[in-house]
Amino acid sequence: MKQSIFIDIIIWLFLIIFAVFILTPIVFMFTASIMSSRNIMKIPYPWISGEFKWENYWQAIKGNDGKFFYLKSIWNSFLVASLTTIGTVLLCSLTGYGLAKYRFKGRTFIFLMILSTMMIPFEAIMIPLYLIVTNMGMQDTYAGLIVPLLMNAFGIFMMRQYLLTFPDELIDAARIDGTSEFGIYWRIVLPNSLPAITTLAILTFRSQWDNLLWPLLVIQSPEKKTIPLYIIQFATEKYTNEGAMMAAAVIASIPMFVLFFTLTKYFLSGAELFAARKD
Amino acid sequence: MYLRTLERKKAFWGFVFTIPAIVFFAIFSFYPMANAFWMSFFRKELLSLKAPKFIGFNNYIYLFKSEAFWNSIKATTIFAIGTFIPMVVFSLIFAALILTRRRFQKFLQMAYYSPAVLSSVVAAAIWLLIFDPRGLSNQFLNFIFSTKGIDYHWLSNESMLRFATIIVYFWKYVGYFTIIFVAGMASIPRSVHEAAIIDGANKWQDFFYITLPLIKPTTLLVSVMSMIQCLRTFSTQYLFVQGGAPLKPIDVITLNIYNTAIRDRQIGRASAMSVILFSIIMSFSYLQIKFSKTEDVTY
Repeated sequence: MKQSIFIDIIIWLFLIIFAVFILTPIVFMFTASIMSSRNIMKIPYPWISGEFKWENYWQAIKGNDGKFFYLKSIWNSFLVASLTTIGTVLLCSLTGYGLAKYRFKGRTFIFLMILSTMMIPFEAIMIPLYLIVTNMGMQDTYAGLIVPLLMNAFGIFMMRQYLLTFPDELIDAARIDGTSEFGIYWRIVLPNSLPAITTLAILTFRSQWDNLLWPLLVIQSPEKKTIPLYIIQFATEKYTNEGAMMAAAVIASIPMFVLFFTLTKYFLSGAELFAARKD
Repeated sequence: MYLRTLERKKAFWGFVFTIPAIVFFAIFSFYPMANAFWMSFFRKELLSLKAPKFIGFNNYIYLFKSEAFWNSIKATTIFAIGTFIPMVVFSLIFAALILTRRRFQKFLQMAYYSPAVLSSVVAAAIWLLIFDPRGLSNQFLNFIFSTKGIDYHWLSNESMLRFATIIVYFWKYVGYFTIIFVAGMASIPRSVHEAAIIDGANKWQDFFYITLPLIKPTTLLVSVMSMIQCLRTFSTQYLFVQGGAPLKPIDVITLNIYNTAIRDRQIGRASAMSVILFSIIMSFSYLQIKFSKTEDVTY
């Protein structure tokens, strides 16, 4: 009995030490975002400095050149991520529905071709993609950021798996009532697949919100930059204002934290989905 | 008669619904892939109006002779192996330990997962400050080794810089994989463990002889997934270099492709590198699919 208490304490210590390691940088981000550079770089780091330098947030939004590009990049990120999410949800669920509930020639082939694109890493095709987008005249536009990411094989796969279990009776009943095939998708299938749609929506929104590489290639004009590009720029300025950089980081993280704490279930199920990808 | 036309109509609509996907993947996946292969045989420069010149395998020959390319392969390999092994081992341990906790289980899961919520650029920006000579990382090491004021050169020393990028990635994703393992372990029926305990197994034996074999598919999947993830790393290295760290030790292959195409404008050469990256990741993806198909367990 005594030994098991001892082991218990060891396990708790181990888990807590790692929880501290994991949480420290996040706490650092929040505390540093309200400190002056002098305090951030003080040895030892004053976790509770009693300083509330809210100007950092003002500085982050205003930017070092006073042009308020952060507000614009927040809006850009929001717009690009939302539009991509709406498009992805609609297109992936439509394809997933077609593949799950209709039999037609080449269905399996199409499905396998779509699945095979999961093997193509984005980083390996980014250069030709960049050339395509340039040729289509979408360089330095929102469309250039959105269109190439409007669909993904994983989203289609997920929607198909979910819709395989969708009750046929509902679909048939609607068909007998004279609903058009597209109407069935729009009015019956779409509203009734909210759990899968929410997960897909969160995954899509988040990956666009995070995306650095693609905007880095496509976007040149400062007023079209997204949040990751703005933060990069902050880190590369000659006289980095550490506090303001952390303030910008906090602002960039808020939407994700809010989503995480309100929709934890979907966040975690997004992770679990990968584990369930076995079938 | 009615049924047959209905079947036909349904087949028609089913096909119509997949048309957007067919068009999309043709333009934005298959064509670029084929194009990367094609362009890897040409000398083509970005923004240049000169017609691309066919040079056969010369881009590949150039790469295999180029020191910078092998440096990238080395940097990528060190980063991928150095990150993926601890990530898999620790996420497995964390998941096993978290599941033994009755209290604060949800809290621990969420705490470990929280860095995965941050975007990768934010993560890199936080750690850039932590690795500053006056930052927390030096303070921590000085505390551990009870030294005073030593600068461990996190961002300037070659091995320390590599280690620094590994820490960022490990920190960001270990919780994510922990959650996957938790899901895998929690799906093992309780009765299996109970049977083992009744048969006289202790907790260690239960873990090594019951849990570990039963979550083998999850372990393989996590291994391959995290490996692929590591091979695709970009943001951390990019931000660190922008922040003033030397490029060479962390010039991973994605960063090299980006720089070759955009800074040096060598599209052909970058395409050849893309094809090599694709082949490497593809072989891992193949393993992933093979494992996930054949290694199904039944309880």
